[in-house]
Amino acid sequence: MEGHQRNLYLYDRFNARVLGASRDDVITLKYFAKSLELTFPLLSNVTAFMGAYFDIQPEGKPIFGRRTVIIDKTGVVRYVRDGSPDFKDILLFLKKLNQEGGKP
Amino acid sequence: MKRKGLMILCLMWVAAWLSGCAITEPAKKVPYRLSPQGTVIWEDEFEFRPPPLDWKLLRVEVGENDISFGFTRSDPGGFPSVTAFAYDEDPFGCTAASFEGREREFFKRFLFNAILQFQILERKRVQVVGGEGLAVIVEGKDPVKKEKVRAKVVFGKRGDRIVGFYITQWRPMDGSYDLSAFEVFDKFVASFKFLKKSFYETL
Repeated sequence: MEGHQRNLYLYDRFNARVLGASRDDVITLKYFAKSLELTFPLLSNVTAFMGAYFDIQPEGKPIFGRRTVIIDKTGVVRYVRDGSPDFKDILLFLKKLNQEGGKP
Repeated sequence: MKRKGLMILCLMWVAAWLSGCAITEPAKKVPYRLSPQGTVIWEDEFEFRPPPLDWKLLRVEVGENDISFGFTRSDPGGFPSVTAFAYDEDPFGCTAASFEGREREFFKRFLFNAILQFQILERKRVQVVGGEGLAVIVEGKDPVKKEKVRAKVVFGKRGDRIVGFYITQWRPMDGSYDLSAFEVFDKFVASFKFLKKSFYETL
């Protein structure tokens, strides 16, 4: 999350916005955002429908799997990577997408 | 039956013989080379003067896919007598605008798995990697484990982003620090140069 926060000025440059999503409740996420001084939105999805939508809901576990998804301005998922975010890869992809005119 | 047994024995012998063959390993690529001046060129991106030979190379993957590197040395004395220093492209924290802001964020997470009571011993503005920076010397104590650590963190800038150098020296609570290691670290930091623009500067 700190990595995304560090890169916000670059996301702006590529007309991209970042959102975090987890199954934690709002109070927990507020505390988390405050402790890390995050300024981008974190979405609380306790009911976990996003987990099913993005196929990141491990069976029987109250958490989401870690996945980075980039959605373009038309709503098409253009990039999916599991595990820790590869920030350089993400930035290069956003740069390419921005140059294509398919602003995320 | 006897013939079959002999065949199996022969096959086993051939398998054992083949397994003994030496496999030519491809030469291991190292991320650095030495310059004629005795400095290290790391991945054609950084140049620095290496520490003396009793320091071992330490390569750690930190943060999220960011690689930093450094050096470590075992010190005489009881556990945990060890010193390590490193260069970190993305030290803990997010505030890019001020060193003081980053210092505050950094020390929230620095050595977070060791529950230490930190005390700032010195804080001063320095010149580092061709620009202004901030050096902070701290000491942390763990009264439960009876261990202590002396650390120096130097924040500098690479383009818009803050980078960091840090050294940690662990000792048992009654041990004494070896400040010569901090001199080695200072020489490493003073010699450190960027040979090209960072990835972020090229975007």
